[in-house]
Amino acid sequence: MSQQRLDRTDADSREVTAPDAEAFERRRRALRARRLRRGWVAWALVVPAAAFYVVFVLKPIVLTVQYSFYDWDGVTAASWVGLGNYAKLLQDPELGGSIVHAFELILYFSFIPVALGLATAAIIRKFATSRISVVSRTVLFLPQIIPLVAAGIMWTWLLSTDGLVNQVLRAVGLGSITRAWLGDFHTALPAVGVIGAWVLFGLCMLLLLAGMTKIDPSLYEAARIDGAGAWREFFSITLPSLRQEVGVCLTVTVIAALASFDIVYISTQGGPGNATLVPGLEIYYLAFFQRQVGTASALAVALMLLVLAVVLPLQRLNRTGDS
Amino acid sequence: MTATACSAPGGDNNNAANTQGSTSTSTAGGQPTCGTAPVKLKMYIETGFPLPKDLSDEFTKQYPNVTFDVREDQFAVITQNAPRVLVDDPPDLMRLPQVSELAKDNLLLNLDPYATAFGWDKWPQSQLEQMRVNADGSRGDGPLYAMGLNFSMTGVFYNKKLAQQIGMTAAPTTLAELDQDLQKAKDAGIVGIAQFNGGATGGLAFPLQNLMAAYGDPAPINDWIFQKKGASIDTPTNLQAAEHLDKWIKAGYFAKDINSFDYATMMSRFIGGKSLFIFDGDWESGNLDKQMAGNAGFFIMPPAQAGGKQAAMSAPLTYGISAKAANPDCAAFFLNWVATNDKARTIAVQVGGSHPMGPADAFMPPVEANTVTAQTLDAGAKIGKDNGAMDFIANATGAIYAKSWTPNLQKMVAGQQTPQGLLTAVQKDYESEIGG
Amino acid sequence: MIASRRELWLGRVLLVVLMLVTVMPFVSLFVTALHESGTYPPGLAWPEVLHWSNFATAFQSAQMGKLLVSSVLIELGVVPVALLIGTLAGFAIGHLRPPGGRWIFLAFLLGLTLPFEGVIVPLYYQIRDMGLLNTRWAIILPLIGLYMPFAVFWMRAHFVNMPDDVSEAARIDGATTWQLFWRIHLPLSMPALSSLGILMFLWTWNQFLLAVVLVDDPTKRTMAGALGAFQGQWGTDIPLLCAGSLLILLPTLVLFVVFQRQFVTALLQGSVKG
Repeated sequence: MSQQRLDRTDADSREVTAPDAEAFERRRRALRARRLRRGWVAWALVVPAAAFYVVFVLKPIVLTVQYSFYDWDGVTAASWVGLGNYAKLLQDPELGGSIVHAFELILYFSFIPVALGLATAAIIRKFATSRISVVSRTVLFLPQIIPLVAAGIMWTWLLSTDGLVNQVLRAVGLGSITRAWLGDFHTALPAVGVIGAWVLFGLCMLLLLAGMTKIDPSLYEAARIDGAGAWREFFSITLPSLRQEVGVCLTVTVIAALASFDIVYISTQGGPGNATLVPGLEIYYLAFFQRQVGTASALAVALMLLVLAVVLPLQRLNRTGDS
Repeated sequence: MTATACSAPGGDNNNAANTQGSTSTSTAGGQPTCGTAPVKLKMYIETGFPLPKDLSDEFTKQYPNVTFDVREDQFAVITQNAPRVLVDDPPDLMRLPQVSELAKDNLLLNLDPYATAFGWDKWPQSQLEQMRVNADGSRGDGPLYAMGLNFSMTGVFYNKKLAQQIGMTAAPTTLAELDQDLQKAKDAGIVGIAQFNGGATGGLAFPLQNLMAAYGDPAPINDWIFQKKGASIDTPTNLQAAEHLDKWIKAGYFAKDINSFDYATMMSRFIGGKSLFIFDGDWESGNLDKQMAGNAGFFIMPPAQAGGKQAAMSAPLTYGISAKAANPDCAAFFLNWVATNDKARTIAVQVGGSHPMGPADAFMPPVEANTVTAQTLDAGAKIGKDNGAMDFIANATGAIYAKSWTPNLQKMVAGQQTPQGLLTAVQKDYESEIGG
Repeated sequence: MIASRRELWLGRVLLVVLMLVTVMPFVSLFVTALHESGTYPPGLAWPEVLHWSNFATAFQSAQMGKLLVSSVLIELGVVPVALLIGTLAGFAIGHLRPPGGRWIFLAFLLGLTLPFEGVIVPLYYQIRDMGLLNTRWAIILPLIGLYMPFAVFWMRAHFVNMPDDVSEAARIDGATTWQLFWRIHLPLSMPALSSLGILMFLWTWNQFLLAVVLVDDPTKRTMAGALGAFQGQWGTDIPLLCAGSLLILLPTLVLFVVFQRQFVTALLQGSVKG
């Protein structure tokens, strides 16, 4: 009720043309009261979200950091080891290897979908409204909506000794390179990468395509008049205009690569011989299986920092976008 | 937020440790039973083996007040879950990988009171020693922390048709003969051994340990598995065994893609006639008698020298009771029933394929001659005579299989690990695990 | 735009190939699911006898009915609450702009790129101490918290971009903050809300890590978690595994086909803003 009356006074005062000192003072007080009340209301509205966030995100982050300084089996009392767990990250080839693998996965999860997505989008941009390209949008999106676990199960089967991939290779006369892709030291990690690329390609392609349709067509016309070929057109107009979209694709896919868990858990469990061990999986093994909670937490801290270190610079692509 | 952040994790933790010992039976003195009130036993078993389910069904038939709430997973999953599940979602009966760490952390119920009440302590003690853990965590003696549903025997299964094709008329009696058979198979274009070795389950541990037993004495291997002080896997005879395995790999006796497939694929290939041999255990005997009736044979790994002693991995199908289980008495009663009831023993043999637990003179169901089941039971007697029973090297510590044997054996298959490197690496992981 | 014939054909062929690559895994899954249970069918081979019964068997062994109920319960626990409190906070920070709001917003942003693995270890012990392990709450509560950075970020962006005139006019008409929110802003926010809802629905449905670590009983998990358990249990029987996987995928696929446009918009916008 009082709020309404205040507002009305507020509105009324607008019509006062002469600087009536008393009215002015009254209005200022009313405004301040309103802003204060608004402040309190706003804070109250933030509280539920903040409460969940603090309890289930901020507190666990702090605890992860805390655990990382202890040697703890999760059951008995923990003992302080300072930076010991972090030293292990640097010394133990298994732990360090998992981080290296995560970076190798970026190649497959990020660069392939972005590069292939750019190429495809550039080609189909020209008939973006035709029926086939509308259908393709739905189809290429499928991998995005299914659980990664399902992608892992499907591809494990496709990539097995008797799977479809080898069947196709044999059919086209490449029988000599057939193998159990996920069970071979040299191909297991790339094979996992291919699964990720399959999942992420559609999203990237459509994002880039959406970006391309926003480019002013007159730019292309101008380029054509200047006699630019398709290549120059692509590099001097399309790519620069897509900075923001490329930045988004890279951000999403890089996080997916560094924090991969589901696909590896299902398809290789980190094998053969740790060839596909990634930080996410190693954290899970260490914490819940080998019960080295401290080491697991140190790796978790490293993972969080790595993601930030890689993703933050990418945001510059978004900031200084086209305009 | 700050309250927990300041104290060391685990310091104020009062779980499993306190419950230890307090769960002693209410019927101390007499034998515990399942009573007459409805009981729901929570059971966590391994997928792919019908034995525990058949046993529980039969048990419910005999004791209708007892029903089972069964959860199933593959063995690798159980291994990963064991410590967590025992504390946080305690089952009454659970298939266990390896008990020393679980017992040391007081996650498992001490079964000694039951052993006394039911008279398990009067059985041949070799059946139980793998499940005894003493205070420092080494196995072989100390309180009993688990029971078997039966105890298994391992060795080599072969496909009789394929054996005939390569002119193998009898089971090899020396390692050299086995080598020759493998070579003949290779020459005939037949896969020698399609042993599973993919994912987190390095199945080459089977032939490796068999080779260890062919070259050396099983006792030191058992010491290592039981975590006796100073034990090492890196011994001269074990090195010979690893080198022999490496020779098999390099000679192409194994299927090319062993690093990619799991246990179930191995079974499917063997049953489908795509592998001459597999290294496996008698838990498959019943299954093989059904699916390859008359076409499967079994032998224990032959010794390096003719007439030498033979050894085999033999372990109870281990089931434990969580220290926090809701119905420990009934669970123990069930375990005793499995070992002593005639019907249960029949199921243990016919479905499980392995020898039942229990007193030496207990009832044995008749077994048809010429079946794999008969062969594996005979083999058990021979191993008993040679005192050649070993636990699995995969069971030395909770994580040694998935995190050490498996990756290193997979590397060896890919030519990225040497026999000496394998033993050194595993010994190092072993020491860091039991030391820390 | 003019494109040469050759370019058009090249584009079409490329599209078809890409669509094939995208669809083949599903086809392979389907064909394999029709083989006899317990066999290892080679690659893509049409079975001589179609074993449709695999689907019935998988439906039973996976306890599909229970799984669906469980997933729906979890969705109901997560999405409405997360939407509501995320919107309230977004409205507060984006529209009411209280003093210090910037700092709160930055604090939320901190969690935007957080990999769940980073906090899964303490989450496990927290949930255990709350006595919630192996209940659906173990998935619901943390997920709400973990979605907050994105939800607040998303809704704030929406409210910041709402022109001020609308709310000024309402204020002049004497609307309270609540009326302003409920009568004016909320109806205008429907597109942003529905996209956010779809995203959180999908993320929850497909959530795997929390399910694997915090809930052992597959019938109390999300669909993806249940699928993981199904693989753990039936991974030994390929046709059955394929049949079960398809069944578990079916609800999302149906929803996707029905609400295609909304899904695509949500996911595209979601990643642009995320």
